[in-house]
Amino acid sequence: MTAEKKTRGRGEGKGGGEDAPQPVSKPLLLVSWLVPGLGHWLLGKRVRAVVFAAVVAASFITGVLLHGEIAVPQQASPLSWFFTVGCIGNGMLYFVRLLWVNGFDGLFSASFPYGLSGGGDPVAAGFFYGKTFLYTAGLMNLLVVLDVHDIARGDKS
Amino acid sequence: MDHFLLLFWHALLVAVFFAFLWRSDSRGRKALFLKTFLIMFVGAIALGWLMFPFP
Repeated sequence: MTAEKKTRGRGEGKGGGEDAPQPVSKPLLLVSWLVPGLGHWLLGKRVRAVVFAAVVAASFITGVLLHGEIAVPQQASPLSWFFTVGCIGNGMLYFVRLLWVNGFDGLFSASFPYGLSGGGDPVAAGFFYGKTFLYTAGLMNLLVVLDVHDIARGDKS
Repeated sequence: MDHFLLLFWHALLVAVFFAFLWRSDSRGRKALFLKTFLIMFVGAIALGWLMFPFP
């Protein structure tokens, strides 16, 4: 089966059967990303919603408590964008932490998006552990968004 | 800071997450949770011991 056939869905080619993939609402994916678990909650998957929200939040809070640093773009390091994208996966938690660390003035400085502080304490014993928890939380929430996409599309129950 | 506790906590969170992400039934979730948790938790300790003789 070709990739094109896979993405077009199962119903096509049979006169547009009723099992064709549903269109996915982009606002649903947006809220799913911004608030971990909310996408599943809106889709009626309440248990999964609570578990995902708890796991992502617990991982993020553990990372912050361990003095970990959230990833921010750095001009001298293009690879920092990869880490930033992973960490932005935390959605609202990421932006709240960024605002907490930098304040409004620091957040919207002239050099934006560079020059931001990711917080944390590099001297702390838990610094790298904290970063691991923060990145893990972000990547897990990105997987949650993909899961919401699959459920909304009808590919998964 | 207890490294062992952090290892346990991280493995627990990730194992719960993937159990609920990849399995829909209770039995499947328990099995995947146990498998993932043990691989991460016991595997990390085993790797630590294996690395012990190396400088």
